[in-house]
This record gives sequence, structure tokens and C-alpha cells, in this order.
Amino acid sequence: MYRKQVRRRRAVLLLLVAASLTLLSLYYREGNGGPLHGGEKVVSTIFSPLQNGADRALKPVRDLVNWFHETFDARGENDQLRDQVADLRDQLARSQTTQAEAKELKSLDETLSGGIVPDGTDPVTARVVGRSPTVWYSTVTIDKGSGDGVHVDDPVVAAEGLAGKVTQTTSNTAQVTLITDADSAVTARVSSSGATGVVEPDVGNPNDLQLDYLERGTDIAEGSMVVTAGFSTGDLGSIFPPGIPIGRITKASVEEQQAYQRVHLEPFADLRGMSFVKVLTTPSGGGKQ
Amino acid sequence: MILTRGMVARLALLMAFTAIAQLVCFSKMDIFGTSPDVALLVVISLGALGGSLTGAVAGFSIGLLIDCLLLETLGAFALAMLSVGYVAGRYRETIGFPTRGAVVLLGGALTLLGALVIAAIQIGTGIDATVSFLVVRDALIKSLLGALLAIPVLWIVRLVVRSALVDERRAARRRPMVGRGGAAQAPPAK
Repeated sequence: MYRKQVRRRRAVLLLLVAASLTLLSLYYREGNGGPLHGGEKVVSTIFSPLQNGADRALKPVRDLVNWFHETFDARGENDQLRDQVADLRDQLARSQTTQAEAKELKSLDETLSGGIVPDGTDPVTARVVGRSPTVWYSTVTIDKGSGDGVHVDDPVVAAEGLAGKVTQTTSNTAQVTLITDADSAVTARVSSSGATGVVEPDVGNPNDLQLDYLERGTDIAEGSMVVTAGFSTGDLGSIFPPGIPIGRITKASVEEQQAYQRVHLEPFADLRGMSFVKVLTTPSGGGKQ
Repeated sequence: MILTRGMVARLALLMAFTAIAQLVCFSKMDIFGTSPDVALLVVISLGALGGSLTGAVAGFSIGLLIDCLLLETLGAFALAMLSVGYVAGRYRETIGFPTRGAVVLLGGALTLLGALVIAAIQIGTGIDATVSFLVVRDALIKSLLGALLAIPVLWIVRLVVRSALVDERRAARRRPMVGRGGAAQAPPAK
């Protein structure tokens, strides 16, 4: 009896491990239109209303925890006011959230003002409803999908700066791969010197990006602003329009520039804390102009 | 674990809720620069309560659902979570139901194991970028949060699956009846 149980346990375990490994390898091998990708999208579509509902329902819990964290950080300043604040905690959390959202939306509009958005582009505002639980996938799920005109490769902008691009869509959700994802690479230009390079992430460190492949001997000053280059050569073109702010140079040592043709920058967008983004959709899709 | 149709439905709901809550709520929390992995703790709890088979199946199901909802590589989270669920279940089968201290240690250690498996899968599938040392810090803080949250999560999961637990049924049968006509009532003194 016991042996039978052990055999059954081992068989189920082997089956599950084999299923996981098969899924992993098939998923990598097939293209974006493959049956596994399709099945995944169907499940995501079915669950998206639940995800949206749960996102709204669990927002107070999330805000409360985040509020506690922020309070812990600012403990020194808040000691005297703690008793008073405790009574108003829930009310304050709600009102701050509303205010922060309004501020973020305003900032989002300001980021896209000044002629950055090319003609024929229709920015769609979306709420971030899901986030990957590990540092390995820098992706978020937004509540707008192909039904709202969102296409794969559409650029996504957060308040203050570039967030990433759309990599998958369902009818009412989309996956956004952030500029801090291991797969991300954005052609960029240092606005003060005009030097161009490719912005790549430092996985696990969302506050540090690297501007690689700079020309040797280029003079780049710390504090300079980095924007999307938006190059175009014949039919080949960047999916990101030019001039979208990405970040500010934080470290530009001569040695690293000489050895690796690289400087470091901090993204403008708060990629961990953002609640809203704008997807720059075009009728043809793909973000290309 | 005694699985009736009702219990299977209850487990399915628990797993779906866990996956959704992880993505829309817990992953968006910012605690010391990272977020708690409550889905992994639910898998550990199910393994510790129901054994290796329950742990592995629950881990695979929750992991696969998370993979689907994130539109990420199918099988990555499923493999990581099924390993964790299986190890938690084996602990229960070889050593016994974990004590409070052991639950805390299991929560921390298995959260770290889950992070390592995910990292191994990512590195195995090819990361084309530099990997920061902060990944290690993130895993360690996640593990610490796992240790802190292990007992409350186990308590909640135990409440949900209580009627299916063999130990709980035995304990309920052993519990003496009290009051009028109760079998355990002491005989009147002569």
C-alpha cells in the first residue's frame, strides 16, 4: 500500500516536471502566434475582468501596506504626529492615493506635451493592473488591449518619461515590457552633446540603466538628459518617436567610457510605483511612424 | 487530505484567488524595496498540510496560472512553485507537521529556493544583460518576508481546507462530548 503511494507520488511529480519543461521548451520554440501563446492569451482574457475587479477591491489593502512602509521610512519626522495620524490613516491613505493618481495623470500629460507625440498618434491612457512578482521579468499588465487600439510594439510612456513598449495584447489587456527588462534596448541620444547609444538595463537594479555603444572620445557630462533617438533609415525605424525623456546621466567616468563605451543613467519614470501609463497607439500599430 | 468535490472547488477558488491577489496586490506592495511572495507561501502551506502530492499539484496550478496572467514563458513559475510545494510536502511526510519555528524556517528557506529556481530558469533560458548584485538582496529580503508571513498564511490556508485534513478529522472524533447525555460525562459519585 505504502509502496503504491510512493510510486503514485513519484509518477505525478515526474509528470508535472515533464509538463513544465515541455511547456518551457515549446513556448520558446513557437512564435508569437503559436497555440501556447494563444492559449495563454485566452486564459488572460478570461481572468482580466476578475483581475480588474480584484485590483480595485484590494487597492485599499495595498495602499495601507505601502503607507506603512512609507511611514516607517519617515519615522523620525512622524514621531510627534503618529497618534493624530493613526486616527486618520484610512481616510488619509484614500485621499493621498486619489491625489497621487491625479498628479501622475497630469504629469503624464505634461510629459507628452511639447510636440513629442507624432501626428497620427492617439495616446491611450491605461491603468497598471498587474506586475511581475520577480525582478527577472520587468513587465506590467495594463487594462487596455487590442480592443482599445493597442498594438504590439506601441511605445508606452509613464509620468516623467519612457516606460517601455507593448509586447503582447489580448482584447482588453496588454503586457508592457519595461525599459528595465533584460530584453529591452532603446536607441537614445544625450540631449546636450547629441551622442547616441543604446539604453540597456542592469537586471535587478531598476534605478540604474546603461547607455552603451557610445563613440569613444565623446564628452558626456553627469546630469545630462537622455531622450529617445527615434532613428529612421529607409523602411527600418525605431518604434519610439524621438524626444521622449528616458533619464538623467548619473555616472560618466572617463575610464568606463574608454573601456566599455558606457555611462549610467537613472530613469525619470517611477517604474515600480507607476499607476497610469499612456500607450502611443497608431492606426497601423507597432509604434512606427 | 480528503478530497471531495466541494473541497476541490474550494481549492481551485483558493488557487485562483491567490494567483490574482499576488499579481494585483502583493506584487505591487513595496516593503524594503521588494514585495512579498504570498502565492509561494500558499503553496508551501498546502504542501505542509496535504503532503508532497498536494503541494506539487497546487504549486504547478498556481504557477501556471501566474505564467498565463503575466503572458510570460509558460512553465517557468509552474516549475519553480511545484518544486517548492513538493519539498514542503516531503518535509511533512518525513519529519511531521511543522512546529511554529519550523513553519517560519520553511517559509524563509523555501521562498529563497523558489527565487533560486526562478533565477536558474532565467539564466538557463539566456539573459542578455548584466545582472545586478541587488538580485541577491531582493531574494534575501523576499525570504525574510516569507519567514514573517508564513504562520499567518498557513493559518488562513488551514482554515480554508480544514474539513479535508485527516488530522483535523481525527482530532474532532477524539474530542469528548460534554453536557447533558454526553458520553464523556463523569458518572455521579456514590
